[in-house]
Amino acid sequence: MSALTLPTVERDSFFTRLDFRSKLALMAAITGVALVWESPVLGGALALVVMLACLAVGVKCSYLRTVLTLLLPFAVFMMVMQGFGGADLVRARLHRETLTPLFTFPASWAIIGGGMMTWEGVLYALNVVCKTLTMILVLPLGIFTTDVNAMVIGMVKIRIPYRIAFIFSATLRFFPMLFEEIQTIIEAQRLRGFAFEALGPLKRLRVYAKIAVPLILGALVKSQTLDIVLQTRAFTGSSQRTYLHETRLRAADYAVIAGSGLFVIVAAIAYYGWGIGCFGKW
Amino acid sequence: MATDRSNPQLPLMPLVTLDNVSYIYPRTERPALYDVTLDIGKGEFLGLIGPTGAGKTTLCLSLSGIVPQFYGGRFFGHMTVAGLDTLEHPVSRLARHVGAVFEDPETQLTATSVENEIAFALENLNVPREEMLIRIPRVLEAVRLEGTAKKHPRELSGGQKQRLAIAAALAVQPDLLVLDEPTSQLDPLGAQEVFATVHELNKTLGVTVVMAGHAAEELAEHADRVALLVDGALVAVGSPDELYADVERLERCHIRPPQVAQTFVEIRQAGVPVPMIPVRLREGIAALRAAAHVHPVQVPSISPLTTEKRGVPLLAVRNLTHVYGDGTMALHDVSLDIHAGEYVLIIGQNGAGKSTLVKHFLRLLLPTSGQVLVDGVDTRDLTTSALARRIGYVAQNPDHQIFNATVEAEVAFALKNLKYDAVEIATRVAESLTALGLGEQRGAHPLALPKGDRARVVIAAILALRPDVVIFDEPTTGQDYRGARAILDISQQLHAAGKTIIVITHHLYLMPAYAERVVVMGQGALLLDAPIRTAYHAVDVLASTSITPPQAVLLARALAEERQADFPLLTPEEVAACFTVNGFND
Repeated sequence: MSALTLPTVERDSFFTRLDFRSKLALMAAITGVALVWESPVLGGALALVVMLACLAVGVKCSYLRTVLTLLLPFAVFMMVMQGFGGADLVRARLHRETLTPLFTFPASWAIIGGGMMTWEGVLYALNVVCKTLTMILVLPLGIFTTDVNAMVIGMVKIRIPYRIAFIFSATLRFFPMLFEEIQTIIEAQRLRGFAFEALGPLKRLRVYAKIAVPLILGALVKSQTLDIVLQTRAFTGSSQRTYLHETRLRAADYAVIAGSGLFVIVAAIAYYGWGIGCFGKW
Repeated sequence: MATDRSNPQLPLMPLVTLDNVSYIYPRTERPALYDVTLDIGKGEFLGLIGPTGAGKTTLCLSLSGIVPQFYGGRFFGHMTVAGLDTLEHPVSRLARHVGAVFEDPETQLTATSVENEIAFALENLNVPREEMLIRIPRVLEAVRLEGTAKKHPRELSGGQKQRLAIAAALAVQPDLLVLDEPTSQLDPLGAQEVFATVHELNKTLGVTVVMAGHAAEELAEHADRVALLVDGALVAVGSPDELYADVERLERCHIRPPQVAQTFVEIRQAGVPVPMIPVRLREGIAALRAAAHVHPVQVPSISPLTTEKRGVPLLAVRNLTHVYGDGTMALHDVSLDIHAGEYVLIIGQNGAGKSTLVKHFLRLLLPTSGQVLVDGVDTRDLTTSALARRIGYVAQNPDHQIFNATVEAEVAFALKNLKYDAVEIATRVAESLTALGLGEQRGAHPLALPKGDRARVVIAAILALRPDVVIFDEPTTGQDYRGARAILDISQQLHAAGKTIIVITHHLYLMPAYAERVVVMGQGALLLDAPIRTAYHAVDVLASTSITPPQAVLLARALAEERQADFPLLTPEEVAACFTVNGFND
């Protein structure tokens, strides 16, 4: 397999056929609303819908599992921080002084003695976790379902300079290559008797830190080769260029863009008019 | 000077001119090119040969203006391509005239579909979409990749990827196609495909071709002229017949001549008059038959190699099947025993299952079904790190196995992880560095060393663990003749020291001096497991996995046909020995 590959979904769906511009509109709308909503129920529902959409368009379960696994420590951290320590922030959001205690550590305990976990703090943490999850999952939804070339054309169409669109696409292609390099180096270390599988998470992190130098050197060599290849293909980064593929917004695209706009407007009216989505109105 | 093919008396119009060109890379003192003066005619196919570091790549890069425009450095002299001064015109302008194809098929393909790959340069050059739609199928047809326009480049084989890179270069309708070692990473089938494509483009479309490489047999077959570079200087330019027949000079320059030329030089040295040294196989076969008609020929006495081994095998594979996650069946019901002290060569086309097989020995892969045993223990019950202490693995690209800041740290890495005491570590490191001749480089950064030395660093690091088995996975790929021989010589020393050696390579001509036993694989199955003399002459089995035996073997087979006798010969020396009075003793 080529080093320069980006994970893409294999399933052809309504979403894969959409123009990248309409996907950008949808991604922006979902991200915007997720940022504004503070209700863990609505935020959770939005995250769930995005996750189901990911599954529906063919994002692999293993990818979602990895995202959730990586997010788990963050979620626990948020629960602890907001559950115990976020009382002031939560009181300010709720405009009230009294919070509902879930449990309190005995006062005799050192450092954490007397600490109280509140129900509202936990809900606020949940809201942050759901926001983050939505914003993370909206990326594969838009990017894994789009060919890199179509992304570049879509970005140029919305007047992003070609050079920037190309750098964006090159970066997307570079991440899998870096990941592949890391795996290669770890495999090489295992082949020298290094028992990577027996290491704990912290020691693994230290190993990852150590391989930064060969990783960067390898990436530099590859990027230089790529640079030479691009130059021999007359690449200058100029926006004065033609495109093999044309991109045209179709009825479905207009519907998605309009729907995205409508979603933002309705969410804003509901939020500011009736407080739907505000923290405390779950 | 190249001549017009239709009228050899007429010199070709030069498309490329180099007048006293010298070039020094930044932060170096030694010129990469030194005082090169050369004209390349329109429609010519010029082969560029020379050992590693001779300046072939630099010359190729200078033709597209990358040198010096991208690298900087000091450039002297004057170079033009299609009338354009390569210093005065930007690379993007020169790209209209020069198409470039590089060594590694993976790194030069950037798009997500074949048609986008071809279109990329056209888009950059503002070629109208309608024109692109005409050119893309045309160039795909020229490189015989019709029907692949919508495919992702990763779905193509190595040879197809290189042909796609050629198509992408060709779409610009360049005057000159520059190929820098385009076949060095390919299996024989891929290399054959690339040469056939380039040959056709040159002969039928008249595209001027400059191809740098080590593939002596193929360049002798296809090039109009060959230029020999050594230490940046142009040592000789001439027809393949002139250049490749001078075997002595090639060997002096550490360049491997075509085996057919080497054979006839040996025959001449044996006292048989040879009017002209042939450099192509068909001429060689004709000359051999002619010589056999007028001179006595006898089968040299060859002591047969026995590969029969007894006892418990060190590595045992039992009905091994491996299916990858995407459903590809890479191995199917393979059974094989390798005993201690054997030197085994594994061959087969790309995708035959060679690397998949050896990765099972290290538990980098687990069997889908069947069993792999190391010294009688199932690899399922062992860890990769435990196996690595007994089995050393040298990957094709040494850079993938280097991750320390000094040569010494690289060699000591495994020993430190295995908690050896300081004295033991120092002893083993010193021992390994000395064995590989790396004592003086112990403080150097491994990646700052030449590629051949980097491979030796990896081998030194592996030897520090004192493994019983050393696996070399395509160690000769991307190496020149001298580099390849140096690595194989190390394998031979290890073998002599009692290690079991397994080598995977496509370079069959290198191996008669080393291997005893050959395992031939094809489409995931074991096709043949035999002594090297039997395996190299099993041409039908080899053909079924797209492998052609070395020219010396084919000459021996021609001799056998001529004399209706068995000539199980492997090397030019053995074929030549048929013409000596006493024959050859193995």
